Amino acid sequence: MTTLSYFRLLGALLTLVWLNTACETVIDAKLDTSPTQLSVDGTITDQPGPQTVRLSLTAPYFDSATTPAAKGATVTVADNTGRTYVFTDPDNDGYYVWQPAQRDTMGRIGRTYKLTIAYQGDTYIASSTMNRVPAIDSLVFREARINPISSTMGYRASFYARDFPGARDYYRVRFFWNGVLQNKPRNIVTVQDAAFRGSADTDGLQFIQPIRQSINPDSLYRMNDSVRVEVQSITPEAFDFLSQLRTQLTNGGLFATPPANLPTNIVNMANGGRAATGFFTASAIRTRSAVVKKENLR
Amino acid sequence: MKKDILLYWLVLLSWLVSVDTGFAQDKLTVSGYVKDAANAEGLIGVSVYVKETGTGAVTNNYGFYAVTMPPGTYNLVVSYVGYTRQTQTVTLTDRNVKLDLELTQEGRQLQEVTVSTQREDDNVKSVEMSVNRIGVQTIKRIPALLGEVDVVRSIQLLPGVSTVGEGATGFNVRGGSIDQNLVLLDEAPVYNSSHLFGFFSVFNPDAVKDVKLIKGGIPANYGGRIASILDVRLKEGNAKKGELNGGIGLIFSRLSYERPFLKNKGSFIVAARRSYADILAQPFLRGDLRGSKFYFYDLTAKANYRINDKNTVFLSGYLGRDVFGADFGFNWGSTTLSARWNHVFSDKLFLNTTAYYSNYDYALNSDLNGKNPQDYFRTNSRIVDYSLKPDFSLFLGRSTLTFGGQSILHDFQPGLATATSAGVERTFGLNSRYALENAVYIGNEQQLTRQLQLQYGLRYSLFTYIGPGEAYTFSNDGEVGKRKALVSTQTYDRGKSIQTYGNWEPRFAAKLDLGDNSSVKLSYNRLAQYIHLISNTTASTPLDVWTPSTNNVKPQLADQIAGGYFRNFGKSSTQGRAYEASVEVYYKWLQNQIDYIDGASLILNQYLEGDLLSGRGRAYGAEFYVKRNTGVVNGWISYTLAKTERQVAGINNGDWYATRFDRRHTLTSVLLIDPPGRTDGRSRWNFSATFTFASGTPATFPTSRFEYEGYVPYTVNGRNNYRIPPYHRLDLAATLQGRKRTGKRKDDNWVFSVYNVYARKNPFSVFFQPSSTDPRITQAVRYSVFASAIPSVTYNFKF
Repeated sequence: MTTLSYFRLLGALLTLVWLNTACETVIDAKLDTSPTQLSVDGTITDQPGPQTVRLSLTAPYFDSATTPAAKGATVTVADNTGRTYVFTDPDNDGYYVWQPAQRDTMGRIGRTYKLTIAYQGDTYIASSTMNRVPAIDSLVFREARINPISSTMGYRASFYARDFPGARDYYRVRFFWNGVLQNKPRNIVTVQDAAFRGSADTDGLQFIQPIRQSINPDSLYRMNDSVRVEVQSITPEAFDFLSQLRTQLTNGGLFATPPANLPTNIVNMANGGRAATGFFTASAIRTRSAVVKKENLR
Repeated sequence: MKKDILLYWLVLLSWLVSVDTGFAQDKLTVSGYVKDAANAEGLIGVSVYVKETGTGAVTNNYGFYAVTMPPGTYNLVVSYVGYTRQTQTVTLTDRNVKLDLELTQEGRQLQEVTVSTQREDDNVKSVEMSVNRIGVQTIKRIPALLGEVDVVRSIQLLPGVSTVGEGATGFNVRGGSIDQNLVLLDEAPVYNSSHLFGFFSVFNPDAVKDVKLIKGGIPANYGGRIASILDVRLKEGNAKKGELNGGIGLIFSRLSYERPFLKNKGSFIVAARRSYADILAQPFLRGDLRGSKFYFYDLTAKANYRINDKNTVFLSGYLGRDVFGADFGFNWGSTTLSARWNHVFSDKLFLNTTAYYSNYDYALNSDLNGKNPQDYFRTNSRIVDYSLKPDFSLFLGRSTLTFGGQSILHDFQPGLATATSAGVERTFGLNSRYALENAVYIGNEQQLTRQLQLQYGLRYSLFTYIGPGEAYTFSNDGEVGKRKALVSTQTYDRGKSIQTYGNWEPRFAAKLDLGDNSSVKLSYNRLAQYIHLISNTTASTPLDVWTPSTNNVKPQLADQIAGGYFRNFGKSSTQGRAYEASVEVYYKWLQNQIDYIDGASLILNQYLEGDLLSGRGRAYGAEFYVKRNTGVVNGWISYTLAKTERQVAGINNGDWYATRFDRRHTLTSVLLIDPPGRTDGRSRWNFSATFTFASGTPATFPTSRFEYEGYVPYTVNGRNNYRIPPYHRLDLAATLQGRKRTGKRKDDNWVFSVYNVYARKNPFSVFFQPSSTDPRITQAVRYSVFASAIPSVTYNFKF
């Protein structure tokens, strides 16, 4: 949470709990629809195994079906050492996959990856550098109330990792609870050096406490739950994209910012060609897993 | 630059001396103060009219007047709405005459209604236009949220004034943003006038004497903001006897005490408020929430001392703070202190010199109770002003000349943060920024003929952004509307000028009488604003930071023309006319308006200026206003038709678009009902009702969705392309006057009120989000701050 989100939280708390009259109601709204755009959802990593880039199309906002797949595209990723990787869509569902030959890993820290997509006469490109990522030193638990006004107890997880001193680094944190990725909007956690943006200069520090504890579900963990934490390196552009994604998905109330398009690094090569949405990222990942057990308690 | 300023002052001073000494003595002057007979408060805006010559004067902000005529015997008619008219005979032979006057309120009871405290027929007779005065007695009668009468909420009922939504901080005047209003408390600017995020304002109604909102035709003595001046004047304190006032409400309690001191040569008032929701809630809090703090308080005080006939000094101050938090907490608050010296040089020349200090700051702390010294985050930010401001008035009979100047030193501290992680502390501070804002002005109010009155003036403002500091240069090569890249940083030493801006600000107003009861008025003004509130949220937050004009941020400029027709009609049981009515139209051109790139990063961002956009604006509209001053049913109805637009390169393809605070139609109505027989004690009840309707504000609605990692974000095709549904609300209040009793208690009453009577869920905003249960289902959500009727009761007393 940035300072502003702390503030929003308190604002919400105040209006909801204290005055107890604020209210949110789902209403009908008639919306225009923009012309369809290509949408890219691609993250390549330094982990062994296949890599996937999903191509889909934008759809009317209230259309709750899965957005249509962008089929028949040519998708390649090239790195700055001259290697090119070809992605294909075996199931014809818009998920373009690169299958490694045995024990081949695509991502290498320090390399820059360029995505090229040829789709319906347009060529789109995007590039991303795979930055350094620190190891997670430990993952521990502590017994705690699940929230300040509850008497129910649970186990709160904290992970410890340290930012690299020197250049400004950007990371993202994700976690899996009993093998399931937690993907509520507020689980999008982005890190600048060891803290949030709009904080002090935390270069080279241990990740600050709110980030260490950003890996907990509302109910906290129970004994014998398994937890896996990932720290991913991202580029400054991906940091902007992800933090604005979170803002957009949670924007509302007294202190909402103006709704805006998310930034994108997908560029249509044709001058004045139709823009695409989405993002292409290269991420190095470090993980750590633990089970809530007596010996992991602090 | 410093030399320039010095020169201005020298010219001004020498000119002043020549005026003061070189005056012909064939005319004589009557001058003095007009005060309220009950408590000796100086009365602002009282008409002093010389029957024989047809000339007159109006008392200034300190109750001082002066009229000049040849020797002879004259009748002075002194009148003020709500007070008994008084005629005083004065004979001038060979000397100037000092004449202090006291006026008596018409009704005996404190709660007696005076819709406005101003001179009779002021709207027609004064050259001022686009000015609304609202008396504290009226403010106290308007049905209030949670029973707490509020200055800022009351002025939102005036024509041309609106708000972005329920409970939002501040107010918008004629298409201006909230930081374009100069909010003055005894001449010191208040940088954040809100308590509790904007639900209440910092002005304690028990200590306020006069509230004046100037929306157009702004005289030359005011400057520094481009939309309006809200001039709040505090009571001086009862100079005749001690008085204790108080009130107990649902949210907070008030207590004020005023009395004379030093043989009635001085008087003071001290007024305090504190909210007590936290005290009431304390027994129900446990665990980590024990020790939670959420309260606000304020203390307002003022004292005056009359040294002699020629010299009076005033000292006023405000201190207030909002505090929220359990382990994590934050607080914000303002402090103002103003010292003033009134000096009467001759019987014609009046000087007020004000020195003030104003501070607004906030602090945020993740570890309020010090439980976690290894890991915490703290930040704070503030703006401080120091200013000196002499203002002269020269009463010349047919004209009143005003002149003076102002120097302000602004000290901005945009943010200082400390983060501690695992025991390692890091501090990160944005550099403090300093600026000097200077101005000189001269203005004249002149009765040209019996029908035509003019007010004209010129103000020159000079702003210097000074070191120590860093100036940033950004690249203009990037895509318009995106973050600008930093090219270079230049460091400046202490006192070195980084950037200077100067502006001539002409002001003009004219009034032409069309008979006794109607007039037409015309005005033009140019205003410059050098400091800006950086905020891109729907409602301004207390964490928003003020920033000076810099080499990248140009001063905001506004030109406004306004015209109006004013008419009074109907018979009144007391004095003046029963009804006053006006129609005003205005058009404003705005330059260098600040906007923000999509996804702007505004907090603790050293390179904030790279995220700002600049554009122009236009606002125009018509305001209709009818007010009934007296009678069983009195009050006003106002209707505003308005449009406010902006054009910013990088937003909406550079096309004009409606601003966030654009409201096409606004209708407000305030009814005050005084059943017959209230003054003689037969009816102890009175009633009031307000109704507000406002068109929905513009909002940005999405057009498409796409998928990213299972999340469903949206795309938009422009800013403010839709409107949220309209806002309307009815509030009611009833006051029960306590029985007259012998003994010490003089007066008491109960106020019962219901806010949002028909429980409309007025939209504050409509936003779009995935459902919390199934992220693939996207929804439009209407957010209402109040979704029910809010009843309340308040008990007020006076000893």
